[in-house]
Amino acid sequence: MAPQSTTTQRTLQREATRRRLVAAGLRVVAKEGFAGASTAAIARATGKAHGTVFLHFRTRDALVAELVAEVGRAMSNRLAELEREAPTLADVLDAHLRALADHEVLYARVLCEATTLPAAARAQVFALQSGIASRLRRAHARARAQGEVRDIGSVALANIWISLTNHYLMNRDLFAPGASVISKCGGALKAQLLELIRP
Amino acid sequence: MRTPDDHAGGDPDAEYCSTCAEASGTLKPYDEVVQANADYLVREQGVDLHAARTMARALLASMPAWQGRR
Repeated sequence: MAPQSTTTQRTLQREATRRRLVAAGLRVVAKEGFAGASTAAIARATGKAHGTVFLHFRTRDALVAELVAEVGRAMSNRLAELEREAPTLADVLDAHLRALADHEVLYARVLCEATTLPAAARAQVFALQSGIASRLRRAHARARAQGEVRDIGSVALANIWISLTNHYLMNRDLFAPGASVISKCGGALKAQLLELIRP
Repeated sequence: MRTPDDHAGGDPDAEYCSTCAEASGTLKPYDEVVQANADYLVREQGVDLHAARTMARALLASMPAWQGRR
C-alpha cells in the first residue's frame, strides 16, 4: 500500500490536472466556441496527452457540462454577494450585470450554442437563470408591497429581463463591436426594465 | 453550497444539499428531487413541466450523488 502522503500527493496532482483541463477548456471555448472545443484541442492547450482528458471526464459531453457548470458557479458566486441583505430590484439587476460582465465572452458562447449543448449543460443554463429569476421575484415582491412597482407576473418579469440580456449578449458583435456589450448597454437595459414596471 | 442553510438540515458538515437530502442528511427519493428541481424551473421561468423534468434529470445525472440515475 502506498504511504498516505504519496496517496495525498497523487490526489492533489489529479485535482490540479483536472483544474488545468477545465481552465484550458474555458480558454478554448472563449476563442473557438464549444463547437471548436474538441477534447484533442483542450488536451493540446494543457500540454497533456489526449487520453488524459478521459481519465478525468468519461466523455466530451461530461467535460462540456463541467465547463458550463464552472461558468455558472462563478456567476452564481457573484450573484450571491448580495444575499446578506434584502436587495432591491436595482441591486439584483446590478449584480446580474456584474456577473454577466465578468463572464461575458464565455456566457455569450454558452447562449449562442445552447441548443447544441449536452442536456446537462443546457440544464445548467436554466438553473442559473432560475437563480436570477428567483432573486428578481423576491425583490419585486418587496417593491410591490411598498407600491414602488407595477404588478407584473414574476415569470414575465424574469423572462423579459433574461431575454433582453441574452439578446444583447448573443448579438454583442452588433451592439458593441470590439467592446463589452454589458459595459456599454447594461445600464440602459436596467433603466428600460425599471421603467417598464414603474407604477 | 455557500451557506450552512444550503446544506441538508443547515449542517455545514452535511454531505448533500438541502434540496437533495432530508434534514437528517440522508438523500431524498430520486423522483422527489427531480420533481422539486422541475417545479423550480416551472415556477421561476415558466418552462414546460415535461421539459423541466427532463432538464432536472440531466442536471442530477451530472452530480456525483445521482450519477447513473435517469
